[in-house]
Amino acid sequence: MTTAIADTIRERVKRIETTPSIPAVFLPLLELLNAPPEDVKLEEVVKLVSYDNTIAAQCLRVASSPLFGLAKSPESIKGAVITLGLRRVETILLTCCLGNAFPTKNWTLDPSVFWRHSLGCAMVCRKFSEKLAAADGDKAYMAGLLHDIGFMVNCMAFPEEFANAVKQALQNQVPLDQAERATMGFTHCETGRALAEKWHLASDMVQVIAHHHTPELSEGAQPLVALVHLSDLLCRVRGMGYGYYECHKVDLAHNPAWTILQKEYRDLERVDLVRFTFELDEAVGEVFELVATIFGAAAARN
Amino acid sequence: MTTGMQPAFSTAAPIKAAMDPIFRQIRDLVYKVSGIYQLDEKLYLLADGCGRRIKQLNIKSPREYWDLLTAHSSREAELRQLLNEITIGETCLFRSQPQLDALHKIVLPEIVVEKTKQVTKRLRIWSAGCSTGEESYTLAMNMLEQSERLLKGWTVEILATDLNDRSLEAAKAGIYGDYALRATTDYFKRKYFVTLDEKKLQVKPEVKKLITFSRLNLQDDSKMLFMKGMDIVFCCNVLIYFDGPSKSKVIDHFFSNLNLGGYFFLGTSESLMKLNDQFHLVHFPGAIAYWKPSLQSSKL
Repeated sequence: MTTAIADTIRERVKRIETTPSIPAVFLPLLELLNAPPEDVKLEEVVKLVSYDNTIAAQCLRVASSPLFGLAKSPESIKGAVITLGLRRVETILLTCCLGNAFPTKNWTLDPSVFWRHSLGCAMVCRKFSEKLAAADGDKAYMAGLLHDIGFMVNCMAFPEEFANAVKQALQNQVPLDQAERATMGFTHCETGRALAEKWHLASDMVQVIAHHHTPELSEGAQPLVALVHLSDLLCRVRGMGYGYYECHKVDLAHNPAWTILQKEYRDLERVDLVRFTFELDEAVGEVFELVATIFGAAAARN
Repeated sequence: MTTGMQPAFSTAAPIKAAMDPIFRQIRDLVYKVSGIYQLDEKLYLLADGCGRRIKQLNIKSPREYWDLLTAHSSREAELRQLLNEITIGETCLFRSQPQLDALHKIVLPEIVVEKTKQVTKRLRIWSAGCSTGEESYTLAMNMLEQSERLLKGWTVEILATDLNDRSLEAAKAGIYGDYALRATTDYFKRKYFVTLDEKKLQVKPEVKKLITFSRLNLQDDSKMLFMKGMDIVFCCNVLIYFDGPSKSKVIDHFFSNLNLGGYFFLGTSESLMKLNDQFHLVHFPGAIAYWKPSLQSSKL
C-alpha cells in the first residue's frame, strides 16, 4: 500500500460522522463476565444489563425466541439472563455494541450476512482455541467477532468503491479481499486497522484486524492472528461466508498460519480437522437464528 | 468442555437435551471405528437405527445396547449391523450438490489445466463401491454437461466397481424410482432418462456409454495394483465397513492409483481420520476432499 492510499484511508476514517460510541456499561459488564463462572455476581450482571435499554430489550427478545423453546417467556431481565447463560449475554452485548455503532442503512453488504460471518467466526475461534488447551478462548472469540470490522468502514467511508469490489467478487466468485485489492488497491484489513487504531483497541486486536489474511506478516500476536485466519477460512467453506459461492480450495494444514500455530500449540497435531468441521456444522443453524433474533430488531429500529 | 462453563452455541434447544446421552457416546464410537459422523441434528437417525437393533435383539435399553457394542465378543459384528442400519436408504442420484459444485467449478478446471500438456485428453473417474449405480450415473451426467464446455475434445471414462453381483446387475440396468430420483431435477430427468412407466425412469444409453461396470474386491491387492491412472476417485460409505488395517491398505491403493493432482472423495459425513498422511485434506464450499498434490502445485 502506498503512503498516499494510507493517508486517504486515515482521512476518510477520521471523517466518519457517526463516531461509533461504546455504551457506558460495555466495559464493566465485560469485566464481570470475564471472571471465572463461579465468581460472577449474577445480581451485578442483571443490574448492568438493565441500565442499557437496547441490550436489555435484546436480551429479553433472544431469551423469548423459539431457540430456547420455553413454555413461558421470561418477563424480567434476571429471568432472561438466567435463561441465556452468561456466554450468550456476552455475545449479545458484544454484537449490540458493534451493531449499534454502525448504521444499518445503506450497507453495501447485507448486515445479517456480515453478522453471521462475524458471529460464526467468533464461535469457530472459540471452539478452535478450546481444542488447543493453552489458547485463550474469550480473546479468540473477541478477535473473531472483530476481524472483518474493516468491511463496515468500507461501507461508510468508501461506499462506491466497495460496492464495485463486492460486485466483482460476486460475479467472479472470488474472495472479497482479492476483489478489493484488484479494484480498490487496498482491503478491509487496512481500513479496519485505521478504525481499530482510532478506537485505541488493544494491539492484539489491531494485528488481527490488519493481518487476518496475511498472518505471517503480523507484527505480534501471530498465533492469535493465525487462529483467526484459519477460522475465517473454515467459516467461508462451511456456510458462514459472505453469502455467495467462493470458488476456492482451502488446504488448512498446509497454510502458513498452520505452521505458526503448530509452533505455539503442540495440541494442534491431535486436532481431527474433519470431525471439527462436522462439529462446526452443528452450530451454523444456531448462529443464523441468533443473528435473526438480534438483528431482526436492529433493522426495525432504524 | 470439562469446566462448568456453558459452551457458546450448543445444547440450547430442549429437544437436544431430551436425547439420551448414550446416543452421543454411540455416535463417538461409530466415528472412532468407521469415520462416519452423525451431526447432532441427525442424531435421531442414529437413535432410530439403534432402536431397530434393540427391538430385533429383544434387549431392554439403549444402555444395554451400548454394552453389546463395546463387549469384546460382540462389538465387531454388532457395529457392522448398526452401520447397515444407519446408511440404509442413504443412496440417491445427486446426493451431494456441494460435492458436484466443487467437482465442476474447482476440481475439473484444475485437472484440465494440469493435463493440457498431455497429448491424449482423457479423464478417468473411478466410482469405487458403486452399489446400484446412483453415484456413477450422477457423475456421468455431470460430465456430459461439460462435454461442450470444459471437457470439449476430452474422452471421459468412468469405471464403476462393486463386490456385489446383484448390485452390479441393478446398476447396469439403470432403472430408478421416485426415492432414488428425489434430488434429480426435471432438467436432468428429461435430458438423460426415458420413462418406463409411471414410477420408473431408465438412464439413456448415451449416459451408460461412459461407464464400465465391473466386479472388484477393494481388498484384492493384486487387482488393486492395476487400477492406475485415475484422476478422481469416489468411494462413499464403503470404507466404513473395513477394519483399521484393511482401510489403510485400501486408502494407500487409492493414493497410488491416482494421478498427481488427482482427488479422492468420501461420503459427505465420512472422514479418513488420520489413516493416511500423504493425501492433503482440502475444503471446498460445503465439501471435503483428499488431494494428491501435483509436483508443481504442492504449495497453495
